[in-house]
Amino acid sequence: MSQPVDKIGNWLALPVVAALTALCLAPLLILFVYSFFQVDFVTILHEPTFANYAKVAGSETYRGLIARAFGSALLVVGITAIIGYPVAWFIAKRVVAAKSTFLTLLLVPLYSGDLVRIFAWRVLLGAEGAVNRSLMWLGVTDTPFGGLLFSPLATHIALTYNYLPFMVIGLWLAFESLDDAWTEAAADLGAPAVDRFRRVTLPLTLPGLIAGGLMVFVMVAGDYLTPQLLGGASGITIISAVNDLFGTAFDWPLGSAIAWTMLAILMLCFGVGALAIRRSSFISEGT
Amino acid sequence: MSRIATFWVWGVFGFMYLPIAMILLFSLNASDVMAFPLRGFTTQWYQAILADARLGAGFVTTLWVAFPVAIFTTFFGAIAALALTLYPMRGRGVFVVVLLLPFIVPRLILAVSQLIFLKEMGIDRSLWTVIAGQSILILPFATLIIASVLIRIDRRLIEAAADLGASRWSSFRRVVLPLMSNGILASWVISFVLSSSEYVLTAFLSGREQPLSVLVASDFRFNISPSLNALAVLIVLGNIALVVLAESIRRRSGRKT
Repeated sequence: MSQPVDKIGNWLALPVVAALTALCLAPLLILFVYSFFQVDFVTILHEPTFANYAKVAGSETYRGLIARAFGSALLVVGITAIIGYPVAWFIAKRVVAAKSTFLTLLLVPLYSGDLVRIFAWRVLLGAEGAVNRSLMWLGVTDTPFGGLLFSPLATHIALTYNYLPFMVIGLWLAFESLDDAWTEAAADLGAPAVDRFRRVTLPLTLPGLIAGGLMVFVMVAGDYLTPQLLGGASGITIISAVNDLFGTAFDWPLGSAIAWTMLAILMLCFGVGALAIRRSSFISEGT
Repeated sequence: MSRIATFWVWGVFGFMYLPIAMILLFSLNASDVMAFPLRGFTTQWYQAILADARLGAGFVTTLWVAFPVAIFTTFFGAIAALALTLYPMRGRGVFVVVLLLPFIVPRLILAVSQLIFLKEMGIDRSLWTVIAGQSILILPFATLIIASVLIRIDRRLIEAAADLGASRWSSFRRVVLPLMSNGILASWVISFVLSSSEYVLTAFLSGREQPLSVLVASDFRFNISPSLNALAVLIVLGNIALVVLAESIRRRSGRKT
């Protein structure tokens, strides 16, 4: 991996760093500065204070919403891991010729955009939608479930749908680099299937599981549109609270403080996740 | 074991395509209500969409945004990918983290921070602010696509060019550039697709001229009609066609090297 550092590389990266600084880092920094301001009716007071962070920490509502965002994220990580694990294994180990076709097919629905996907789930889950009609046809129920749409269930189905491909990609990469000799050796030595999975396959695919899980986690926690448009009353999230504070409620400093609280937690998760990936891939290389 | 997995995989792919199949079905259904049983075949919803002047204008606006966005992200993505792979820079680790930041930061938070930034700078919202905002959001994807092509280039080709006396620039222009051209094309197409379907950031940063996604979102909130199905199907089909095109271009480059 050690390549000679190239001066040209530094010059190539320079405009990219400039663009990222101007359009991402600087705005986030200003957001950070705003989080220490105060708002008085409609004017923003530029006197530094920790009051906004104290408000976030002291408010049961905000604490609850933050906890719920990360709870949802963990739940969706779990669901996508269980659904995605066999799919990733199948594409890596059972598909021979059409590997990239499978991966492309998996990714294609992603590109239709948030709005189109959410719209489609609305059609599917509505009172007269396909899911209700099928349930009635199967005799599960006589009257359609009105509560299917605009519920946490609808939100989590759509979130799973949205982010499953990221989990599969992460796991697929891990399975691709998994040498079959390990599982074969374990089988030759008489390990039953359950032990082979628990002690060989799972530890060796752990880096992919963490990488995929991290992507899903971050994206679910930060998803604004899906809960908003499918969750109904449950669609109030910490992110939508930020949106309200920047819109109708006009409290930019408090909104900034909530946003930065979320960012800090997300970055912490990312740091821990990156460390965990490094350690787990060290284990799989070391064995 | 293998058979169960096959069923599972079919099930998952069915799940991924079920919503798309459903909107396709209802977009051709002759009824105001999006429900079973189907009432017969019609193309009226498509005609309604294609005749809608407001959406037509929105589509043109989307193109005005997506073309420059795809050019910017592909250019910046290309030089970023080169600095990460063939011409390694100093501090690659930090660079990667900063590069991935627009992808990690929740979109709405990125949008409000850019909004504050614009206000502080005294810049009015316009299509240019949408283009700038979307470009930074899509940059990580463009970089990944081009880098995935670059890491497959055989370094010996570049070394051979250097041994034969080619200058840095001519080895780049005559060896690297032809080999990465498919990655550049794929990145351009994917960026175009991502830009045209982006909503949250676009809604925050757009001024009076509103791209299609913003118009659709307000329709979607206030009056759901089957013609939205038709519009969604057109968007999905257009995007699928472009993505398949991009993927086949990218994969062709894999076969050549």
